Amino acid sequence: MDIVTEERIEKSKATTAESAVSLKKESNPMDSTVESKPAENGPAGVEQYLGQETIGTPYCDNPKMTARNVKVYYGEKQVMHDVSLDIGEHEVIAMIGPSGCGKSTFLRCLNRMNDTIDTCRIEGDISLDGQNIYDPKLDVVPLRARVGMVFQKPNPFPKSIYDNVAYGPRIHGLVNHRAELDEVVETSLKRAGLWNEVKDRLDQPGTGLSGGQQQRLCIARTIAVSPEVILMDEPCSALDPIATAKIEELIAELSENYTIAIVTHSMQQAARVSHRTAYFHLGKLIEANKTELVFTNPQHEMTEAYITGRFG
Amino acid sequence: MDKLNLDNHISQQFNSDLEALKTQLLEMGGLVETQVFNAVKAIEEVDSEIAMQVIGDENKVDQQEVDIDEQCTLVLAKRQPAASDLRMVLTVSKAVRDLERIGDEAHKVAKMAIALSEEGVAPHGYTELRHIGSGVQRMLRNSLDAFARYDVEMAVNVVKEDRLIDQEYKTAMRELVTYMMEDPRSISRAMNVLWALRSMERIGDHARNLAEQLIYMVKGKDVRHASLSEIEQHIKAN
Amino acid sequence: MNKATQRTIDIVEKNLSKRYRAEKRFRLYGLMSIGFGLLCLVVLFTDIISKGLPAFKQTRILLPIEFNRDDLGISDATDPEQLRAGNYEAILRNAIRGKFPDAKSRRDKRALSAMLSNAASFHLQDTLAENPDLLGETVSTWILADDDVDVYVKSLDGFGEPFTGRLSEQQIGWVQTLIDDEAIRTQFNTTFFTASASREPEQAGILGAALGSLFTLVVTLLLSFPIGVAAAIYLEEYAPKNKFTELIEVNINNLAAVPSIIFGLLGLAIFINMFGLTRSVPLVGGLVLTLMTLPTIIISSRAAIKSVPPSIREAALGVGASKMQMILHHVLPLAMPGMLTGTIIGMAQALGETAPLLMIGMVAFIVDLPAGITDPATVLPVQIFLWADSPERAFVERTSAAIMVLLAFLIFMNTLAVWLRKRLERRW
Repeated sequence: MDIVTEERIEKSKATTAESAVSLKKESNPMDSTVESKPAENGPAGVEQYLGQETIGTPYCDNPKMTARNVKVYYGEKQVMHDVSLDIGEHEVIAMIGPSGCGKSTFLRCLNRMNDTIDTCRIEGDISLDGQNIYDPKLDVVPLRARVGMVFQKPNPFPKSIYDNVAYGPRIHGLVNHRAELDEVVETSLKRAGLWNEVKDRLDQPGTGLSGGQQQRLCIARTIAVSPEVILMDEPCSALDPIATAKIEELIAELSENYTIAIVTHSMQQAARVSHRTAYFHLGKLIEANKTELVFTNPQHEMTEAYITGRFG
Repeated sequence: MDKLNLDNHISQQFNSDLEALKTQLLEMGGLVETQVFNAVKAIEEVDSEIAMQVIGDENKVDQQEVDIDEQCTLVLAKRQPAASDLRMVLTVSKAVRDLERIGDEAHKVAKMAIALSEEGVAPHGYTELRHIGSGVQRMLRNSLDAFARYDVEMAVNVVKEDRLIDQEYKTAMRELVTYMMEDPRSISRAMNVLWALRSMERIGDHARNLAEQLIYMVKGKDVRHASLSEIEQHIKAN
Repeated sequence: MNKATQRTIDIVEKNLSKRYRAEKRFRLYGLMSIGFGLLCLVVLFTDIISKGLPAFKQTRILLPIEFNRDDLGISDATDPEQLRAGNYEAILRNAIRGKFPDAKSRRDKRALSAMLSNAASFHLQDTLAENPDLLGETVSTWILADDDVDVYVKSLDGFGEPFTGRLSEQQIGWVQTLIDDEAIRTQFNTTFFTASASREPEQAGILGAALGSLFTLVVTLLLSFPIGVAAAIYLEEYAPKNKFTELIEVNINNLAAVPSIIFGLLGLAIFINMFGLTRSVPLVGGLVLTLMTLPTIIISSRAAIKSVPPSIREAALGVGASKMQMILHHVLPLAMPGMLTGTIIGMAQALGETAPLLMIGMVAFIVDLPAGITDPATVLPVQIFLWADSPERAFVERTSAAIMVLLAFLIFMNTLAVWLRKRLERRW
């Protein structure tokens, strides 16, 4: 190898190291008030990114749900800093980020599940179809019928499969007689892709199904009340790859009728299923953009670093 | 999580795999550069010995293309790289192709050198050969340097220079055709020079491809069929 | 294998036998303790059962009873007035004197009649009432013997010397004659299960006490279960986490350890003196026992509610159930096995309580069977206590028999608790 090439290779290695360092210290030209803090709490705490605008397209036209300047506190500690995001109608939006970045917290704000936690306090505006869901006069029960949730660990009720799906319509009084209820159960199970596997054993307990089937049962239970938005909190993290693939397929089908917000740890999953991706970091929404853009050419260096696996 | 370690991937192996790809590409680039240098020298000085050397080293270039492509496939399969890493792997995969083509063109130039040494020196075209030859060599060198330094400015300059080389080539061709018309006996020898010039122009095109790919890798913008002004706009925007 | 591993393995193997020996010793200690416990249990049960079994039998004497119109003074056996006024002692006297004609003196005659139970005349009255045609007839009837005869006859079959007690030589001789004539036998003691307390042992039964216990427990159950479950739900689901709630919790936990007699004092002071309720009735007994079992029920219900996983609650809330619906439809059914088990254990405890009920007066000698929760009654443990105090020998066996009945109830209730828990357990 000649000298020129050797020099080039050295230069190339140096460039890689340099560009990484620039990720650490690059002060964003958009915000002049932030000084680059030397490593007090490491090269990149969230402090330097507070006060910056979210990069990309966090807002959209005719959004189904909007969040503006949402702050969440657990006791004295602030865990969510001024998050503003729109969720469009019939779109699948994925929320990604390292552990503890607040994506699950944000998701749970959308259907007020954080109300069950005593120390949790929420500020800011979140609206569904233009209506503020934290309005003290608003009843949280119908809200949860309009915004359903699927949890990380499949949690079917310890009742029969039929009763699992029928519970929601029953308590909300959505059906008048048995025949209607049968129809709703059948439709929901079909939409969840579970009907063929369970149609002859609807009276057996829901907990007797496999993990993937249980999760689809939970999805069927959620859609039985005809929600408008479905929130999914890492729905596939407890499932094997085949069950995961089936549910991702299901999400694609469901997005024709429902708006879906999904929190996921797997970036490949976010890339596969979503139309838009939002990247959270330590309680701040760093970037939100079309999925293709985020995964081929992210604009914020933190997003870039997370997606390429430099931290997480 | 307070401390972010952003210089390396969490997986050290991934880090070194990516670095190895770049190193191998630059090594191949160096080899191809030598080929081009020797080929141009061979035809300028009508030295068939150097020309034979170029022809002999051709398979080394081909082998490197195969090896690097295989590495790229492995990295894609094992690591599912995303964003800039993905662009880098795709770019390397395309760049080796262009480098291999440059090697082919150098091979052709060497063959013309041998033909000239057998048939005799052509009456005209050597100035052009020298000029265009050094031009494309410069382009190749700059492309590879830009690659090593992620230098987008330099890459844009290579694109600009390609336009000039294209112009020069057209001029040179016209002149040679004129000479051929004037002196039909020199046609076959002049043709050799023509082919050589054409190969060099091709080398320039491939060097420009390398530069465009570099812009894609660094900026995420595919500028392969954009005009120069559009390219400059894209660079400024980011 | 390098030197380090070599040494480690050696050390491990050397210590292995020591470890195993220590484990064997530990197991041995455990088995010995269990064995000792079982031995004591066996001794206890043997003692109780051997003392109590005879109580399930009663001695009867076969006598030809002549339902003589003149002696009885009854002309029409269908007239209740006449039946009640009839002189059954006379025909009994006739019958037994007929058996032993050589008892001439008054004392002897009295001794003869003393061998029969006082209740015999009432039995004859009942017999005549059922069959009025018997008037004027002579029927061989098995008459209930007095408790002294009863004890003596039973002791003849037992170990050691027969127990003569208050029987005179003469009476013993008569009994022997009856035995030889096969005119005396022991049969199943239905009286024990159908009669209430009595001074005469042969007429004494546990039905009164059993009914009293039953009514008291029913009152306790009806009051303590709903209140306990509701309190548990409030504390687990609704109560805010502040000092006041902590105070409540601390107090409930402490109440579970309060001596039960204190509850009796409380009942006396509040229910009887302040509210003016009657003494000695199952209603008040039930109220006092409610106070006593509430902490147990609350604590076990809270544990059962806490054990319902939060994923079920979140799932219910996520579908749009209100908090009350979530609790009623999901938490309660899943917590029910634990709650029921706790309740039954609390009830079993209440069944065996004596001290608080003594304080509110359920220690009186109640002859009539209680018909409702506002009739005076006593409870099984108290009955046992009273009988244990009585001097008559016959009460010894009856005390043990009553203990057996009480134990049987307790074992049944605890078994029910275990069965219920197994049956209702659901896996989620």
